[in-house]
Amino acid sequence: MIEVRGLAKSFGGLRVVEAASFAARDGEITGLIGPNGAGKTTLFRLIGTVLRPDRGAILVDGIDAQRDTIGARRRLGVLPDVRGLYPRLTAREHLRYFGALHGLYGRDLNARIAELAATLNMGDFIERRARGFSRGQQMKVALGRALIHRPHNIMLDEPTNGLDVATSRAVRDLLRRLRGEGRCILLTSHIMQEVAALADRIVILAGGHVVLDGTPAELRRATGLDDLEEIFMATTQDGWAEPALAAGQ
Amino acid sequence: MTISAAFAVFRKEMTDHLRDRRSILIAMIYPMMGPLLLGLMFCFVGGSMQHGVGGAQGGPLVVPVVHPESAPALMRYLERRDVDLEPVAADARRFVKGGRLAFALILPAHAAAANAPLPVRLIANPSRFDAIVATGRIIEMLNDYQRATLRARLRAAGVPAALMNVLAISRENVGRAAGPSVILLSMIPPFLIFTLFTGGVHVLLDATCGERERGSFEPLMMNPVTRTDVLSGKLGATIVFTLMALAAQVVAFWIMLHAVPRASLGLAVPPGAWRLILVVSVCLPLVFLATATQLLISGVTRSMKEAQTYLGLLPLIPGLAGMVLALAPVDARPLLAAIPTFGQTVLMGQLVRSEFVGGGFIAITAVATLATTALLLYVGFRLYDREEILFPQ
Repeated sequence: MIEVRGLAKSFGGLRVVEAASFAARDGEITGLIGPNGAGKTTLFRLIGTVLRPDRGAILVDGIDAQRDTIGARRRLGVLPDVRGLYPRLTAREHLRYFGALHGLYGRDLNARIAELAATLNMGDFIERRARGFSRGQQMKVALGRALIHRPHNIMLDEPTNGLDVATSRAVRDLLRRLRGEGRCILLTSHIMQEVAALADRIVILAGGHVVLDGTPAELRRATGLDDLEEIFMATTQDGWAEPALAAGQ
Repeated sequence: MTISAAFAVFRKEMTDHLRDRRSILIAMIYPMMGPLLLGLMFCFVGGSMQHGVGGAQGGPLVVPVVHPESAPALMRYLERRDVDLEPVAADARRFVKGGRLAFALILPAHAAAANAPLPVRLIANPSRFDAIVATGRIIEMLNDYQRATLRARLRAAGVPAALMNVLAISRENVGRAAGPSVILLSMIPPFLIFTLFTGGVHVLLDATCGERERGSFEPLMMNPVTRTDVLSGKLGATIVFTLMALAAQVVAFWIMLHAVPRASLGLAVPPGAWRLILVVSVCLPLVFLATATQLLISGVTRSMKEAQTYLGLLPLIPGLAGMVLALAPVDARPLLAAIPTFGQTVLMGQLVRSEFVGGGFIAITAVATLATTALLLYVGFRLYDREEILFPQ
């Protein structure tokens, strides 16, 4: 479970995230959505422990990420928007590298790589170097890298960005399977239909604030609107007042 | 720091960069340029400086002469000294100016009157190495001829010839290296310094600035590793590549010193393997200093291109100091030893010229360089503690 409490972050006087609070629960997919510049990437980086918050706390399975950063990272698997692969390493070497960083070696690591290669259908390119990989292949390697240590909490930034229909569907199926295993999944996406189809809980971020947070039903109730896209548009425009019911609480 | 995490990063960087053509080119091919260049200089420049115009030592010196017929006694004397006289036309000056001749000896059209000095003019182009040595040799012969003639005249007049000598000059060369090859040998340290500062530079830049630009630094740092773990692994790989470059260059220098003709080298014995191992030992602290400097620069620059600009210039600073020392060697004083790269340049120069090397000087050099390295590493690691260093600009 990922809990964000009163998180704030500024860059050179510009407040990017302000008093953001929400929770992503185990066995659920939490969708984090917001317009460009809403602070999603910063929030992602804060939870991923590569940025330090000015205020507030991040708890990963109860571990304070600021006090025990390494402990929090052990329980997190992150797929960033920029996949950041090494062009001269093969897909297998990427998985082996990140496995080693998590303390996995030898037979355990090889077994885990074989398992991921089968799950993510990487068989035909696992021995190939990453230079020239398609976006789908890049995403699979980056996802495999994030899952190598069987993290309980998985964060995905735009997981289906630039993927074809079949690969996007495979990713969605995988996320549902991971949710079925009781893992906590936090994802961002610009595709409203995808969030609507996947997310058990939705957090809408605008101007660095959490403007709405709840299940799709709670969001519909709070806004009086049926369609997620309509809800998104209504809540992220200026003048939207956060409903008193603090959805989801 | 976690050793296993640092080792995982090290192993990844080694695998990655052993496949990178640029890293290999800079670490293994660029270092060959120094020995190759110096080898050619030994063969061509060293040879001509040593022997002047006219080929191998002891071979005839070819002297272009205008109007040789006006001084037959001098010509006979020169021929006895193994000089090949080459009569040339009266406009020899134009030939020398135009580069067709290195020098020419110009005699007047008619012989001098009895007991009057013969005007002899030597025209040379001193920008040519062979001209410097050849004119030196011909002037020495002309002076010898003058002294021999004067001695004969004094004897004929009944004056003891010994009166001519005020000083009895003798010369003893105690260095193992001799002649112009000393200058060429002194150019080895600057080449080594240059290699130390370039050998691993691409590895470090790619592993830091490149990692940031690819966007792979962020996912890397989301793993349970500290920045110290990651940087240690990257520095380790950089050090290995720098050592590879250094080893490649030292071996290439060793081969070059033994492959060039001994006569052109002007050395009694070229520096042996043991001396070259000592040179590498002296360089070792510099490997760490170079890597720490590169880390620091990669930490303050905003892009790989910017870092490359600075790091391209960096080796020139210690390299230039070495070049100056090659031409104007200084005494090994403790104060100089404490200046990183400068102290090593002095030491390496002494080693390659097979001179005496003081243990105290070596110790001061190593300690001062390692202390500077520790300071640079501290600042470098602090720079990498900044949040923004992980993300592309």
